[in-house]
Amino acid sequence: AAGEAQCLSYTGCNFLRQRLVLATLSGRPLKIRKIRAKEEDPGLRDFEASFIRLIDKVTNGSRIEINQTGTTLYYQPGLLYGGSLEHDCSPSRGIGYYLESLLCLAPFMKHPLKIVLRGVTNDQVDPSVDVLKATALPLLKKFGIDGESLEIKINRRGMPPKGGGEILFSCPVRKVLQPVQFTDPGKIKRIRGTAYSVRVSPQMANRMVESARGILNKFLPDIYIYTDHMKGVNSGKSPGFGMCLTAETINGTILSAELASNPQGQGAAVLPEELGQNCAKLLLEEVYRGGCVDSTNQSLALLLMTLGQRDVSKVLLGPLSPYTIEFLRHLRSFFQIMFKIETKTTEEEHMGGEKVLMTCVGIGFCNLSKTIR
Amino acid sequence: MEEKEKKKHRAKHSGPKAEKKRKRYLNDLGIGDEENARKRNPKAFTVQSAVRMARTFHRTQDLKTKKHHIPVVDRTPLEPPPVVVVVVGPPKVGKSTVIKCLIKNFTRQKLVEIRGPVTIVSGKKRRLTIIECGCDINTMIDLAKVADLVLMLIDASFGFEMETFEFLNICQVHGFPKIMGVLTHLDTFKNNKQLKKTKKKLKHRFWTEVYPGAKLFYLSGMVHGEYQKQEIHNLGRFISVMKFRPLTWQTSHPYVLADRMEELTNPEDVRINPKCDRKISLYGYLRGAHLKNKSQIHMPGVGDFTVSDVSFLPDPCALPEQQKKRSLNEKEKLVYAPLSGVGGIVYDKDAVYIDLGGSHAHEKEEEEARPNQELVQSLISTHSAIDVKMASSKVSLFMDSTPLGSEDVGQEFVMPKEERQVDLKSGRVRRKAVFEDDEKENDDAASDEEDDQEDEEEAVSEHGSDGDDENDAEEESERMLLWEGMAGRRAKRLKTEVPQEEAVNELPAFADSDDDLEVSSEEEGETAPEDSEMEEDEEEEEEEGDVQRTCEDESSVSEFEAANKRAESKQCDMDSEHTETKPQISVHSPKRKAVLTTDSGNCTAEEASESEDENSSLEEGDDEGESHGELEADETNRNGFQQSKAKKADSVRHTKVKTLDTEDDDVENLLREEEEYEEKIDLSADTTGALKWKEDLTQKAAEAFLRQQRSTPNLRKLVYGTAVEDEDQESEGADDELGGLFRVSRPDQASKQKANALDCSKFLVEKPQDWDLEEVMSSIRDCFVTGKWEDDKDAAKLLEEDEELYGDFEDLETGVVHKGKAAAGGEQSGSEEEEEEDEKMSKPEPEEEEKKKERMDKKRKLKEMFDAEYDEGDATYFDDLKEEMHKQAQLNRAEFEDQDDETRVQYEGFRPGMYVRIEIENVPCEFVLNFDPHYPIILGGLGNSEGNVGYVQLRLKKHRWYKKILKTRDPLILSLGWRRFQTIPMFYIEDHNGRQRLLKYTPQHMHCGAAFWGPITPQGTGFLAVQSVSGTTPDFRIAATGVVLDLDKSITIVKKLKLTGFPFKIFKNTCFIKGMFNSQLEVAKFEGAAIRSVSGIRGQIKKALRAPVGAFRATFEDKLLMSDIVFVRTWYPVSIPMFYNPVTSLLKPAGEKGSWSGMKTTGQLRYERGIKLKQNKDSLYKPIVREKRHFNKLHIPKALQKALPFKNKPKNLEKKGKTPKDQWRPAVIREPHEKKISALLSALSTVNNYKIKKAKVKHREQLKEYLKVKQKEDEQKFKRQKEAKKKVYRILGQREKKRQKSSLKGSSKGEKNM
Repeated sequence: AAGEAQCLSYTGCNFLRQRLVLATLSGRPLKIRKIRAKEEDPGLRDFEASFIRLIDKVTNGSRIEINQTGTTLYYQPGLLYGGSLEHDCSPSRGIGYYLESLLCLAPFMKHPLKIVLRGVTNDQVDPSVDVLKATALPLLKKFGIDGESLEIKINRRGMPPKGGGEILFSCPVRKVLQPVQFTDPGKIKRIRGTAYSVRVSPQMANRMVESARGILNKFLPDIYIYTDHMKGVNSGKSPGFGMCLTAETINGTILSAELASNPQGQGAAVLPEELGQNCAKLLLEEVYRGGCVDSTNQSLALLLMTLGQRDVSKVLLGPLSPYTIEFLRHLRSFFQIMFKIETKTTEEEHMGGEKVLMTCVGIGFCNLSKTIR
Repeated sequence: MEEKEKKKHRAKHSGPKAEKKRKRYLNDLGIGDEENARKRNPKAFTVQSAVRMARTFHRTQDLKTKKHHIPVVDRTPLEPPPVVVVVVGPPKVGKSTVIKCLIKNFTRQKLVEIRGPVTIVSGKKRRLTIIECGCDINTMIDLAKVADLVLMLIDASFGFEMETFEFLNICQVHGFPKIMGVLTHLDTFKNNKQLKKTKKKLKHRFWTEVYPGAKLFYLSGMVHGEYQKQEIHNLGRFISVMKFRPLTWQTSHPYVLADRMEELTNPEDVRINPKCDRKISLYGYLRGAHLKNKSQIHMPGVGDFTVSDVSFLPDPCALPEQQKKRSLNEKEKLVYAPLSGVGGIVYDKDAVYIDLGGSHAHEKEEEEARPNQELVQSLISTHSAIDVKMASSKVSLFMDSTPLGSEDVGQEFVMPKEERQVDLKSGRVRRKAVFEDDEKENDDAASDEEDDQEDEEEAVSEHGSDGDDENDAEEESERMLLWEGMAGRRAKRLKTEVPQEEAVNELPAFADSDDDLEVSSEEEGETAPEDSEMEEDEEEEEEEGDVQRTCEDESSVSEFEAANKRAESKQCDMDSEHTETKPQISVHSPKRKAVLTTDSGNCTAEEASESEDENSSLEEGDDEGESHGELEADETNRNGFQQSKAKKADSVRHTKVKTLDTEDDDVENLLREEEEYEEKIDLSADTTGALKWKEDLTQKAAEAFLRQQRSTPNLRKLVYGTAVEDEDQESEGADDELGGLFRVSRPDQASKQKANALDCSKFLVEKPQDWDLEEVMSSIRDCFVTGKWEDDKDAAKLLEEDEELYGDFEDLETGVVHKGKAAAGGEQSGSEEEEEEDEKMSKPEPEEEEKKKERMDKKRKLKEMFDAEYDEGDATYFDDLKEEMHKQAQLNRAEFEDQDDETRVQYEGFRPGMYVRIEIENVPCEFVLNFDPHYPIILGGLGNSEGNVGYVQLRLKKHRWYKKILKTRDPLILSLGWRRFQTIPMFYIEDHNGRQRLLKYTPQHMHCGAAFWGPITPQGTGFLAVQSVSGTTPDFRIAATGVVLDLDKSITIVKKLKLTGFPFKIFKNTCFIKGMFNSQLEVAKFEGAAIRSVSGIRGQIKKALRAPVGAFRATFEDKLLMSDIVFVRTWYPVSIPMFYNPVTSLLKPAGEKGSWSGMKTTGQLRYERGIKLKQNKDSLYKPIVREKRHFNKLHIPKALQKALPFKNKPKNLEKKGKTPKDQWRPAVIREPHEKKISALLSALSTVNNYKIKKAKVKHREQLKEYLKVKQKEDEQKFKRQKEAKKKVYRILGQREKKRQKSSLKGSSKGEKNM
């Protein structure tokens, strides 16, 4: 009889997000065991709990069972619901941690998602909201998820450890996605970026910009880095500064790099000049890796390709990140989809590292939540 | 004899000839055809009205766009599956006869009995699967979902039957396949006129049902129990050229119409428990969309299953190979119908069954089924014994390996099978690629566990001959090539860095990491005595790895030398040699092209967590190289590593190298050339051997392609492993067993650190490159617009080209004439003719050729420009969309075309058109026991989460031909998606404010909503409902149809609930009400709610009272009466019963398959058991007893009386008293005489009266007559007068005119005079 989709079972808390996201999209139940079972402090951490709560918020009818120690999680997905929501993210991870998964789920809701997330907007671990805004949204647009309501708005900036940032993420819903052929990244035509600082001297941002420009100017003259100094209530609860840079090509590919200062009270103080330089170098690294999608969004692009119609999609990526590789494996176990992976060497010598051409046939996913009238 | 009778020639008046003549005649006259008319009279064809023209234009545009369909990507495969032809009709209409005739028509074979689908080759590019559809509604529903073409048989002597209409309606709901009507039994008509009439009548009815102009065939009569040959031939022609439109459901779901079923259950299990769940395999052509392995399917009539295995088989009924001839020869006219036992041969994966049909069936068959024999012959001669064929066929997996025969392969695919291995120490799971021969060896090894040594020897002996070590060699070379690339790149960068000092730490560090990977790794219990050959391999690799490490560290000039030394000394560490020498070469030849490697990032997956540890120890400048090292380690790991170094045997190694030398030409070549390089001995290497190779540039280029080929699977292997991954945890239990006795205690398979590592998507740069250095910077220089562009995109180049094209121009402002550069050819100005002449004259020299090419280019470019300029406006949005779809379709086809089916299947899934074998487990035993091939077996693939259940909301309408209305909460059988199931729907209607209000019954002629608990099916899917699938009724069975609107896990249907209360204290407009609620809390919940009294006074709930419980204060717009009842209207959510019951009609015993009955309605149950409904006494109808009403006397007060006017005053008229006796009048009694007189008088008066009456009548008539005459006269008179008047007026008018004229004249004259 129906309702007996095979339960997938995993161990360990790593890749929790992608597992939950894919389970939700594929409708297959999921069991994760031995979550930090051998550690002193076993079970789910607060940020994971917060993430599960978020998943519960955006879905309807999902069943989540966690055992007493929090080492086992059973998740039976419901249907994605969406609507206007609010969520307080745990300050131990950035909002990016949550937002990345929401980006995967948001196009397939019943009602357009409009969610206010509170927490740490920029930290050193997760992709910051600025980067996701600059890279993930254009990527979504390529798949036909478009419209005025697709936006990420940073209302308040919050730095670790205390956070206090707030963003608004809204996304329209789609029934089907378009297949993409995205194999030519094109040449970088401009570099943009944001240097932000909260609860520190506004001069920090300018210092970062100066040093970053110093490095990037050797490659390209068209560089503009905005300085964003937030004050008062918009500046969150902890001091800090950082920078994110994006390089846009003539074909609309956006590569990004970011760096943030050490959280207050942790590690040595970072000089803004140094940070700016390092960030610029990271961007160059990213350019070296290349591809049509930057390294943080690889998995998002691959997911959207998988969820496309039954057509061939192609995308050229830089080297696959470990996260992406695991994601590919998960895609296979959840959707039985395998990518054709071809390495491409650049013919020219000065075009950076090797690229990977990923090809797949979409599974013909359609948004089962959306109501038709 | 007499010629007089001859007919006269009659000139043609119509037809092409006459037309021609007429035209000629007209032309002679000078009044030609239309075009001439246009010329002759151009004015007549000018625009008369702009508005009209606009309208006509609009109209044509409208008509044009009406024809458009939304373009869809054409996803039909190149070799499509056979077309499913469903022959449907009421019983005894001639379905099987039609099928037999069609088969005979196409294949010249006569099938005696038809069971299940029959696949035939009908043409060069088309196959048909013909299946008969019984009258069971289950069968009709199932087959309507898979049909491409429906042959609808209609008994003309009877007319349409209910089944026909039911089937049509089923088709309409589930996507409308092509439908062709076939009228049979036409020979029963004796009267020709009647026949014609009937045909016409039936045709028109058919047209209204399908579409006007739908094809209807007439099969007139039977000859020897068959239809007429010509008619069947025509029907066949129509079928084989028919085009089909894609149906949404069918194109978006894979499905198989199974034409064969095998049971695979272990007989022992069946013996133990005859009712155990079975494992079966089903065969059939895959249709619709791609099918993935392990996906969910639904078998209508059985249930949901997960595919446990899919494999594709050679096509049993293949289309002929493309040959350029017109028709099929006899050999190609295949028929395949295993369920009907065609040919008596049944293929299995590993066996062929020949159905002998009993001991004596032989002789009989030979005479009867002559054609069959032919088929059998052909089958035996051509395809016979597929397994034999397979056994003889060989597959080579890699370029240079010897082909693998079937003896090497126990499995269907020659595909690396995955073997799960668990390292003994760390408990890490590895997915080992085991080729079948390997496995065999393993088995051997396992069998003689006791002696490892022996095993080893065995393996060694096997080395020389076995194809298996080719694989190894191949693998090695692959890896080697990989290394070449990597090292090459590394060298490029390492020029700047000399991280030599780290070399010392390096080795231990590696060992460390090795421990991580290998020591922790552990062999699976059963495969513990691994074949030694493998071990050797592993060891070698390990060593290589070591060397690798060292070389990475010292990859400098000194390293170069050291490497060479080693190269000389070492024989077996070939791989490392290659990698080491590689950097040198790249240094020497910077022009080297196409360095091919897997990228660094690609390999760090497993080691992501470990890399941190390593990094701490390996302070290597080049992170790329490092991660490659990891890759290497990974690779070795993958191959099922074992730590036991003690078993190393040099001899093994030597043989290995030998084989390598002989087999691998490339390697050998390289080896020979190697000697040109300086050779030195590396002391660090523990073994010695001469390895020589040289980098040959041309060879290198030639091998670029090969390398690409090889590196790709490596990356793939890295991501996916080699074969399909099992579900980890399911096989866990089996893994733990070691020899059945001991349980291996070990940590979790996945290393703990990794499983619980930080979940972060960022791809951190472990070791950033030094971007201050010029070399590093230049490596990405061209990624920017400021860098160098490709030739076809470089603006400067393009400009240059353009200049050549449009060189000559004059600047109008300045008047300067720009001359184009004399393009490479030179003579540009000459006219084309001249050029051509030149071409002719001069010999086609290369230069000339070049010129010509240039010219062509130029022309093409100009044409493109022109096209772009003038054709742009023509392309509509629709065209663009279509073009886009077309492009996508082409890409879809082209992308995996060049790959072999096995790889393709992994990427795409099994594509439609393949003949597949699907294994399914846990099938109810009834399916096998009660198997009846007459009922279609369909495997319908389910999309994502279509296997789940939830609440489904539908838009539903009762079918207009269904006699009853449907009741909420009555079970209903729905056909939705692939499924047929019984469920309990609730009907609702949506109010204007979006509230979904429950309905007790479906509306008669309106849509309503319905919600039920059942399988999730995509929105927009059509469904139909029937109340029962068992038995037959004369009535129309389809109760309702509709479409899915929404899917959810909760619903919001509400029903009305009125709570009543009674006032117990009434103030002015305020009132205390009790009896509505039971507690204060309840009241609090309803504060502010609107309430109403039955008499219509509106009010509001204000606040709860303390006592009595549940009473509250309310205000109203007017004063209430104590007798009033107050109520509040609330909405109560309805819960839907979670009842989902698939119709398992195929599990019923044979002969009863049409009698599935599920849950019964309460009505049915009551009827069957004779239980009367217990009615509420209050709702019974009783005779209405009305009491007589008494009204009191109207009393008017005296004061009022006084004020009233007299006429309204009550009159106090007293009754008259009785008349006294003395005032009574006496009675008169006549005398006889008097009586006579009075009688006579009365008689006379009667006569008189009569006379008067008569006279009156007469007078009236006379008057009428007179009036008529008078009227006539009057009319005439009036006429006369009118005429006279007319005359007079005319005269008067003339006179007037005259006068006017004269006066005008007079005036003008007057003016003149003046």
